[in-house]
Amino acid sequence: MSEFQPLVALVVTPVVLAVALPLVERWASRLAGPLATGAYLLQVGLAALVTSRVLSSGPVRYALGGFPPSYGIELVVDGLGAAVVLLVAVVGLGAHTYTRVHGPRDAAARALGLLLVAGLSGIAVTGDLFNLYVFLEIAGIAAYALVARSSGGAAALAAFRYLLVGTVGATLYLLGVAYAYAATGTLNFAALAAYLAKAGYSDPLVVAGFGFALVGLAVKIALVPAHTWLPDAHSKAPASVSVLLSGLVTTAAVYALVRLLASVYTPAFLLANPVFRAALVAAGVLSVLVGGVAAFRQHKLKRLLAYSTVAQLGLVVAGVGLASEIAVRGAVIHLLGHAVMKGGLFLAAGALAERHGATTLEAYDGLGRREPLLGGAVAVLALGMVGFPPTVGFVGKWYVAVGALQQGAWALLAVVLLSTFLSLAYFGPLVRRLFFPASDSAKPGHDDASGHHATDGGTDYGVEKGESAPADPLPVGAWVGPVVAAAATVGLGIGAHYVLRLVGPALEVFP
Amino acid sequence: MESLRPLLAVCLPALAALGIFALAERPNAREAVSVLASLGLLGVVASMVPAVLAGETFTLTLAPFVAGVPLALRADGLALLFALLASLLWPVATIYSIGYVRALDESHQTRYFASFAASIAVTMGVAFAGNLLVLFVWYELLTLATYPLVVHKGSAEAKRVGRRYVAFGLLGGTAVLAGCLLVYALAGSLAFTPGGIAALTGADPLLVNTAFALLVGGFGVKAAVIPFYVWLPDAMVAPTPVSSLLHAVAVVKSGVFGLARVVLFVFGPELVRTLGLSGALAALAAATTLLAALLAIRQERFKRGLAYSTVSQLSYIVLGVAVLVPDAVFGALLHIAAHAFMKLSLFFCAGIIYVETHVEYIKPLRGISRRLPLTAALFGVAAAGLVGFPLLAGFVSKWYLLVGLLGDGRLLLAGAVLVASLLKLVFFWPIVTSVVFSEATDAQRDRDPSTVGGPEPGKLWEHRTWRNETTWLLLGPLVAAVGFAVAFGVVPTELPFFGLAERVVTEVLGA
Repeated sequence: MSEFQPLVALVVTPVVLAVALPLVERWASRLAGPLATGAYLLQVGLAALVTSRVLSSGPVRYALGGFPPSYGIELVVDGLGAAVVLLVAVVGLGAHTYTRVHGPRDAAARALGLLLVAGLSGIAVTGDLFNLYVFLEIAGIAAYALVARSSGGAAALAAFRYLLVGTVGATLYLLGVAYAYAATGTLNFAALAAYLAKAGYSDPLVVAGFGFALVGLAVKIALVPAHTWLPDAHSKAPASVSVLLSGLVTTAAVYALVRLLASVYTPAFLLANPVFRAALVAAGVLSVLVGGVAAFRQHKLKRLLAYSTVAQLGLVVAGVGLASEIAVRGAVIHLLGHAVMKGGLFLAAGALAERHGATTLEAYDGLGRREPLLGGAVAVLALGMVGFPPTVGFVGKWYVAVGALQQGAWALLAVVLLSTFLSLAYFGPLVRRLFFPASDSAKPGHDDASGHHATDGGTDYGVEKGESAPADPLPVGAWVGPVVAAAATVGLGIGAHYVLRLVGPALEVFP
Repeated sequence: MESLRPLLAVCLPALAALGIFALAERPNAREAVSVLASLGLLGVVASMVPAVLAGETFTLTLAPFVAGVPLALRADGLALLFALLASLLWPVATIYSIGYVRALDESHQTRYFASFAASIAVTMGVAFAGNLLVLFVWYELLTLATYPLVVHKGSAEAKRVGRRYVAFGLLGGTAVLAGCLLVYALAGSLAFTPGGIAALTGADPLLVNTAFALLVGGFGVKAAVIPFYVWLPDAMVAPTPVSSLLHAVAVVKSGVFGLARVVLFVFGPELVRTLGLSGALAALAAATTLLAALLAIRQERFKRGLAYSTVSQLSYIVLGVAVLVPDAVFGALLHIAAHAFMKLSLFFCAGIIYVETHVEYIKPLRGISRRLPLTAALFGVAAAGLVGFPLLAGFVSKWYLLVGLLGDGRLLLAGAVLVASLLKLVFFWPIVTSVVFSEATDAQRDRDPSTVGGPEPGKLWEHRTWRNETTWLLLGPLVAAVGFAVAFGVVPTELPFFGLAERVVTEVLGA
């Protein structure tokens, strides 16, 4: 058992820096920005270090305070955890880059952002059931505060609702922890896995414990019918916060669910209690359908994106519910891919709203020509969401579909295939509007009998004059996030095999 | 043999698309990129022909994509037959495109040429796909890459057609995906194997039948088989060069090509025969060829008529592949090339007529040989070839098809082919005669929209000679295309398509 210090640093450094940031701003305000950037870069470095260690020598552990794991708190990272840690760090950095251009830039918002990153990283590295609750709450509180800080009564209301529902979810989860503790007397993942098996998978305490934890997490994931808090919370916040909420917070909740199934309750528990599998698949399918239809009915882009999160995570949870290795692999790929794509989309939506005031679908008419870089990124990301091959959105669906097929889950298979059309129904018009605006006349000067107008010089064939080039050039911080995300959408799709090499070993427990 | 050339063939036009965007402000340089890339591609593809004719198969395995399915490219006889055809006609169509869009002063020319190059890149991907999943990836991307060309006009009608185009394309793609999933679940492999994947033989016949139906239906969408043909006549809203190379060659033949891959390289002749699937597919194709030939006659718009004729001709190919008789398959494969040459010529004629006179309907074509003498003459030649006159491309392929059908005693199917040919004569004969012989239009011309563009009532078309009837950028490609069609009819064995088709038949049917 190796003691790996960077594991602790993953959680501790962002917390320390989050506390330090407001102080630094007070005494040396010019250093606050670079310090925050440094914090995110450090986080990415640490995450990369942990990931490479996991890749080279398997899961790494750290016993906090030197207490033996079944009594003290243990941090454990396997490939799945490492992938989430890396995701949190990179998406966090992307969101931070955006804040350097379009804000919010104040120390409090940055401190809360770092706190959120600390909490999410903690969720990914902890090996303790109660500790997981603590990190869920840290992340949750940072998230509520971030939403509440945005101006306007609607945001305050959304934040309050988010707080209420989130706390209910966390409390239900805590109740589940209590039951599990009562049944086994331990909170360590590995020890629980052994003791729960000993207590028996049909023991009412064990079953009730899982049931409460599952419902609690379902609320945090925003599975239908517990999804109604999400669209307001995610769309009322500033873009840089929406990225963290839609890309990371819900993702971490799904990760917690997968972790419970893989390492704590184990797939054997699920096989013994098929009702939970059915519930997961049903809730997932319902989320795909309800989220998809709701997204289709939105005019505001951010709400559309928020509802799409409900639909996409529904697909992930349905895949987890199948509980076969191949389906869960697909679910995890889709989970990671969705985080990257949704993060990029929210960043691009934010930049377009800041620069052109475009918040509705109608306002996106022709924006792709004025902002080719952002427009192109949005197009790739949206098509990835639809599941066009070879993007990562396709690979996740493929594995989930293969899993559904192998188990003869025909309804789920049909929904996976149908979800392509559903997401095309709302992402398709977005992409079309970007590049083929409704107001696009057939062709300027074509109806003109003379056939020639001022711009038709001899060698000017089809060159579009900068009809409405933006006055100011696009700052790097506004495009780098979406463009990197778009590249990753394709790269992770073609290179999904390498992602699976990292996360695969953690999922081998599934049959 | 491992070779990078198939990859190069995909990358070259893709890079050209990027180059075209980069040179958006310099039209002549931009068009030079198109021309040079098309010639370069032809060189790359042609360089593989001698070795493949000698029995070599080039392959390239890049990386694992999803479990058990690598990203693989494969250049065998069938792949090269299709790739050589598309890359041979791309330079021709490029020159024609330049003449066409410049003469009409089309808007968004950069997007046009870039999308054109991207479509060719995707077509190369379809041709060189090494397994069914990779083929599916490119098949989906083909819908995307050609979409900007379909909606190029930007009119409300174009957008409506574009929506339908994507819906049909995605419907087909999803059916192919479902078929891929089933085959993968049944056989554990999607690799193209001459004669079929062995593991499918022992599988559950119901599932095998379902997979076959899904794949045939999915590829049948782009191959325009009943009832999926309706998108093709609509897609004629695109600029004529697009209709000529993409919607008469690249896109529709991707569907036919996919069908051939499925029948010959996934399920294999043996299995298709034993399951009784061949008869059903052949009957469907025969019905399509007859129905489309009838519908063509009823069309008033020239390009729509040609599109229905394409639907009819494509089903010859499907029919030949479906009956699995060596001679018929051989004829069908030849017809892929033969039909391409002739239909390209006919669309080039339609484009010249539109550029010079803005006539879109058949009615006002009366006597137009005065205005466009060489175009009218070449139109007659190409039409004769499509009907099946000897010494022209269509005769050779149809000969083998009929020999195969009659030799196998499929009298009904042979009858359908002959009747359809007769219907083609009924379609083309009045057009050819009225183009050449008709006198001045009579006075009963009213304000019928279908007569717009013709000469004034009671007048003849203006008299011009072949020197000044239109620009050589348009006429040159037409002469070349008709030249190919004649060469294919006079010395078919001298063209590589003959040998490549022979190679496929030997490889798959061993005859």
